[in-house]
Amino acid sequence: MSMKFQTVERDSIFTRLDFRPKIYMMLVLTVVALIWESPVVQLSLAFLILLACFLSGVKMKFIRTILLIMVPFYVLLLFTHGFFNISQVKTLTGREELTILFSIPQNWFLIGGLNFSLEGFWYGINTIFKTLTIVLVVPLVIFTTDLDNIIVGMVRAKVPYKLAFIFSATLRFFPLLFSEIGMIIQAQRLRGLAMEKMNIIQRVSVYAKVAVPLILGAMVQSQQLEIVLQSKAFSGDPDRTYLHESILSKLDYFVLIFFTVFLIAAFVSWAVWGFGAFSGPTDSILF
Amino acid sequence: MRENIVEIENVSYSYPRSPGMVLSEISLEIKKGEFFGLIGPTGAGKTTFCCALNGIVPQFYGGRFFGKIAIAGLDTLDHPISILAKHVGQVYEDPETQLIATSVENEIAFALENLKVPREEIMRRIPRVLEAVRLDGMEKKHPAELSGGQKQRLAIAAALAAQPDLLVLDEPTSQLDPIGAQEVFSTVYKLNKELGMTILMSSHAAEEMAEYADRIGLLSYGKMLLVDTPDRVYSDIPLLLENSLRVPQVASTFYSIQKKGVPISKIPVKLEEGKQAIRELVQKNDTACTLKIDDTSNVSKKGELLIHVKDLEHVYPDGTKALHGVSLDIHTGEYVLIVGQNGAGKTTLVRHFLNLLKPTSGVLNINGVDSKKLTVSELASHIGYIAQNPDNQIFNMTVWDEVSFALKNLKFSKEEILNRTEESLNSMGLLEFKDRHPLALPKGDRARVVIAAILAMYPDTIIFDEPTTGQDYKGSQYILDISRKLHKMGKTVIVITHHLYLMPDYAERVVVMGKGSILLDAPIRQAYLDTEKLNSTFLSPPQAVLLGKEISRIKDQEFPLLTPIEVADCFSKNGGAI
Amino acid sequence: MEEIKPRGQEREVKNIGGASIDGAPIAYIVVLAAVVTALAFIPFSVVMASGGSFPMNQGIFGLIGWVLGPIAGAVSSGIGALIGVFVAPHTAGVWFVTVIGAIVTSFAAGVMGTQNSKRKAWWIGVVVVTLIAFGIYVGRAILVNGIRLQWAVLATFVNWSSLLLFILPTRNLVVKWIGSKNLVFVAIGLALGTWISFGIAHTVQNAFTYTMFNWPEEVWVMLSSIIPIEFLSRCAIGAVIGTGVIAGLRAIGLVKPSEGVY
Repeated sequence: MSMKFQTVERDSIFTRLDFRPKIYMMLVLTVVALIWESPVVQLSLAFLILLACFLSGVKMKFIRTILLIMVPFYVLLLFTHGFFNISQVKTLTGREELTILFSIPQNWFLIGGLNFSLEGFWYGINTIFKTLTIVLVVPLVIFTTDLDNIIVGMVRAKVPYKLAFIFSATLRFFPLLFSEIGMIIQAQRLRGLAMEKMNIIQRVSVYAKVAVPLILGAMVQSQQLEIVLQSKAFSGDPDRTYLHESILSKLDYFVLIFFTVFLIAAFVSWAVWGFGAFSGPTDSILF
Repeated sequence: MRENIVEIENVSYSYPRSPGMVLSEISLEIKKGEFFGLIGPTGAGKTTFCCALNGIVPQFYGGRFFGKIAIAGLDTLDHPISILAKHVGQVYEDPETQLIATSVENEIAFALENLKVPREEIMRRIPRVLEAVRLDGMEKKHPAELSGGQKQRLAIAAALAAQPDLLVLDEPTSQLDPIGAQEVFSTVYKLNKELGMTILMSSHAAEEMAEYADRIGLLSYGKMLLVDTPDRVYSDIPLLLENSLRVPQVASTFYSIQKKGVPISKIPVKLEEGKQAIRELVQKNDTACTLKIDDTSNVSKKGELLIHVKDLEHVYPDGTKALHGVSLDIHTGEYVLIVGQNGAGKTTLVRHFLNLLKPTSGVLNINGVDSKKLTVSELASHIGYIAQNPDNQIFNMTVWDEVSFALKNLKFSKEEILNRTEESLNSMGLLEFKDRHPLALPKGDRARVVIAAILAMYPDTIIFDEPTTGQDYKGSQYILDISRKLHKMGKTVIVITHHLYLMPDYAERVVVMGKGSILLDAPIRQAYLDTEKLNSTFLSPPQAVLLGKEISRIKDQEFPLLTPIEVADCFSKNGGAI
Repeated sequence: MEEIKPRGQEREVKNIGGASIDGAPIAYIVVLAAVVTALAFIPFSVVMASGGSFPMNQGIFGLIGWVLGPIAGAVSSGIGALIGVFVAPHTAGVWFVTVIGAIVTSFAAGVMGTQNSKRKAWWIGVVVVTLIAFGIYVGRAILVNGIRLQWAVLATFVNWSSLLLFILPTRNLVVKWIGSKNLVFVAIGLALGTWISFGIAHTVQNAFTYTMFNWPEEVWVMLSSIIPIEFLSRCAIGAVIGTGVIAGLRAIGLVKPSEGVY
């Protein structure tokens, strides 16, 4: 995985937006994805966000890695909801009997006799795309924002300056610490530690032990960091000037208003008409 | 009459938990525009002194403070550090930890933002300071993309941006390769001469300090023993040796000549002065030299072939070609010096010997076996590697555990572990620390713990990677003396360093690397005299060698001299014959 | 031996120290956050229940809380975990769940050991929040999804056991052990403390994840054996790393943050 913050190279509507409306958008979309249960809208929303990622230049390799990691989990979700989610789905769809897509023969060990229901399948789809939306909206927002804009955006959004500083300093230093992990393990191998002959548990305990000198070394070095910060008149006081700016343009205000309206509309329509609920009006094509 | 930027009156200081005075009765004035050099052995109090100039000592640490320090008229105890930061810029030794921002421009802006400099003014100052340190146009770069020299220049730019009255640099070049060090020195010199910036720099780089400083202060055990021009300080060789300090080789050469009975009116401390003085000396005195450039009488007999490399290539996963066309043979019992700038491929090559890296193509045999068939841990007990930073090689809770760690991994018996660990600790003078946590020891001692840990394995070959970087003269000699002891025991020693001047008493053979290939592989005398090859990779031979070349030029005869003593021997009454 | 008095006049030294949060120097907070991020790249096991393998940094959230205190610890772990989500997504799972886990673990751990007398009642707040989360989590399970009581109880063993141990004076005992000079007690204190603090965080996390994923009862059956094993390994890592770090911190003699309990 690349150590650098993977800011996109392409210019798009997302890069032109200030950090604050994007964070707001991210939060709204996350909340809405949590509320919604309908596979149709979840799928559509996830697809839109994926499209936005693609158009704004978020590296597809990154997206692919995320998807690859999540695929086994998604299969599990589909499996459990398809086979086992019976009573909840019956309640939500109001059906007495579920539509069986296929059954496992009775004589199979342990899982014999299980029925895979259509409704359960769709519920699983809902969960999968809900998760996908929540996960994908993060790189869409974070990687289309210049790091400087993130820091200043945080401060303008009333995040205490000390926290914004810790955020940027951590970003600066973690690659150094990560490479130290490699160096410590290398030094251990050079003292006879035969990693090749170890099983998983033993290897994990090596890494666990590496964390100790890593942490101690880091804390010893932090003394020097303190002195450096002092020399640069750092006191954590937010009363300071900023090189970078975070100014809201008309586009930013538009986005803020749009997503506020969207949130209200989504919530109201869900509460009143069941828009976005499982087996609600949006799922009429499914059931 | 230039004003005083720094006024120090009868200053003494002790840290909260230290028993004695770390600084003792220091009085000093530094004028505006002066380049003041601070020298002293490790532990003398140089860093404390530097931190006292912007109030960090004592405001940040506490402790007891006596006397007064005024910077541009401001008393360092009466004004908060944040105010003093406007007047004093600090640059520290480690290029990595003193850069705290994610881009070059942010690094420069950080202090200014804290000092509430208006945004427009910050934007004006950034390109100006970048130009002053020759990092123009690099505003958006991430610090990880910069070389060591560039990082330090960025730190200087950041300190400069606050438009301080005084720029303090604490060992700014000790972690850098020769190119980086040269960049920093010439930048600082330019700031001093062209912009009139008052500079205080502490450094072990005696040759450079002699060239650039207006005055030098010698600090030892917290006391300022001598403050005078470089000419006077560096020529007082007995005083410097007494305080374990290195002298510019030019000065030590003439001192040695003087000790041979040749009258010297004034000991030169700069190279050009030295060359001039040598010319005069050669005209006035007899000189004779019996050394030959291919003199191999001192070289130990070649043993078996230990490491065989042929047409080695190594390409990193991201495509960088780290090594190409490298061929070399190392026999047991040799003492090999590998030199080159950062990025030349020295460590990459050496990691192949340890089997940490496998060749992308080419042949690598260790003890006759193809390296691809070996594991790292199998080799570990035969080839010991001491990396540059001791802190990455310490992972146990006591010094004893650290030194015995390898032995436990290699499954030695309890008795053997006990014996070897004790022996190793003893040989490095660490037995009294055996129950202490290694990280609680000072940095120099941590390096010795690592050496003890490696030596406990009784390796046949030992590789020292930059053992002298960050060490003072005494510390460097200590480690190199260990390497000589090991060599005399018959072990194969490989040392990577760019401190060429330290090595003639130890190394026999030099391998010069540049940009991933071997530029020169020759006995030390031959290698050091090949100034052209060395210069092609921005290395320069020690000053004694250059003085020898000057003699050769005048006498039109080969004088292949490596050390001050050898130069002096040419002038001795019996003409250098032993 | 007579002490030679310096000639210069002795000055009054105002010791101001550096920037800090809740008594912990910002430099400590930064480096520990960077460690959390670096360790986010090291996966510890591949567990399905939360959507990704769990990274090794989960073993040190508690330690950070005991070293830096509740607020500084939560900040450090939270920011480290947040950045870890961006740069090491393969171990992140659902991002806000991961970050909440980091923050709550360190906070709960710090609250257990708070040295500040004005914070004696903070543990009650932690209990209240955890109870609410537990209610959402298990309540939804039993009432909405029809999970049978015995499976609900078994599968949430880590959650209610940790809450119980937090409410009872065991939390004070754990802190006492962590501060003990005997490293064996330190290790036990760390292991138990990790169980408690991570258990509380886990409860809060599940209020979210369960609402999202709605596992049916069969999964609860499976989880009731997997989760405690996961926890045991976290406790082991927490104890191994924590003991080494605490022994080191004591030996090196670095300045201790005011809320540190080691």
